Amino acid sequence: MKKLEFIYEDGSHKWAAVARDPERPNYLIDTNEYLVINGSEALLADPGGMEVFSAVFSAISAEVDPYTIRHLLASHQDPDVISSLALWLDFNPEIKCYLSCLWSSFIPHFGGAEETFIAIPDEGMGITLGNLALEAIPAHYLHSSGNFNLYDRKAKILFSGDVGAALLPPEESGLFVENFDRHIRHAQGFHRRWMGSNAAKLNWCERISRLDIDMLCPQHGAIYRGEDVKRFIDWFAALNVGSGIRE
Amino acid sequence: MEEIRSDDTSQTSDLRRVVQANEDIKKVIRISSGVNLVALNAMLVAKRSGEKSRGFAVVSSELRVFSHKLEGAMTGLGALIFELVRDAAAMRKQHHERRHLLNIQARGQQMRKLMEPVLARMDERMQKTGEEIGRDWHQLRLQLNRVLQLCESGGSLSRSAKIEAVYGGDMSATLKQVANQIEETVNEIFSILKLLRSQLNE
Repeated sequence: MKKLEFIYEDGSHKWAAVARDPERPNYLIDTNEYLVINGSEALLADPGGMEVFSAVFSAISAEVDPYTIRHLLASHQDPDVISSLALWLDFNPEIKCYLSCLWSSFIPHFGGAEETFIAIPDEGMGITLGNLALEAIPAHYLHSSGNFNLYDRKAKILFSGDVGAALLPPEESGLFVENFDRHIRHAQGFHRRWMGSNAAKLNWCERISRLDIDMLCPQHGAIYRGEDVKRFIDWFAALNVGSGIRE
Repeated sequence: MEEIRSDDTSQTSDLRRVVQANEDIKKVIRISSGVNLVALNAMLVAKRSGEKSRGFAVVSSELRVFSHKLEGAMTGLGALIFELVRDAAAMRKQHHERRHLLNIQARGQQMRKLMEPVLARMDERMQKTGEEIGRDWHQLRLQLNRVLQLCESGGSLSRSAKIEAVYGGDMSATLKQVANQIEETVNEIFSILKLLRSQLNE
């Protein structure tokens, strides 16, 4: 069963990660879902695929009233990110979904109506959660052409989507990165193959390195904390991407 | 099969019903975690009172035992509702898939024939999930009854604590305050769970 773990708490402002399901079939890529809570409202970032809906829903419900989830964010269009959309809307039709304007006519194939979606322009936008200001930060071509990270300036947390992702073996499946050098080996192949543009990558690294980040939270793998955030950005900047195909 | 073929609205309201029950149980778990502290406080107060409140000390010791049992029972309740939420969400997904298959089936005789075995397999899966959910509800009702019985004994203990508090001499007011705390907490748990039980029996 997936488990919800609070990774940040400051009164009624919280972040939680929904991660690690030992019962997940091997043919499904492991995913982390993140819940941002501010008082009686919550935003679920990358709510996950249809096949993990019941695991995610029950993990969240064990700690949080699922009716507080007013917003979803789809960082991009992949099925492991957002194919559970129709089920979330079945549960609460009032939910709104933030998504890249590039995918605004694609993601509805997973469900929803015109009024469900709030399109994020390429340059990004602010997202308010009660009195909390979040930012949708462009991360295009990393890997999707229309792709956003979510930044919480107050919590100093960046949800980075597929950037930072690692495919972890069972024996190294902690929620946080404990040994960067050992961990990053599991991220290399993913980033070389999935991230298609060195230019986009360097642009992202330059912008993100100027943000104050305590935790970098990817959709797959483990969370980078403290000094490991900078270590990751430096590692990513130096990595030759778009190079996963053998010539 | 009739239960499976109920419409989407009732399936969503089943999940909502489960979510509401989950919220009530979580509330009670939060409150019940306070009983242990109250019981500990009662024992400390009794110890400070010394001989004057030996009776209260006995009751507060029993209260400590009660609070451990309550904690265990609430953990059991929490685990059961977790399973129920998961299974109800899984059923929701199956209904969603079935709806799409029915849409195909509605497109004519040929589609109806094509979809028959597919829908039959889907119905079999949903039957199993429905049976799981039925078992989950049954186990939840049984556990709820156990917790309510436990709360009744907790209520008796709190009444005994109030009686013993009267004989506490100069510590009587303090003992009475602790006894009232115990009673209020147990009563709050009892009333939420009683309401939940009647809602589940509807």
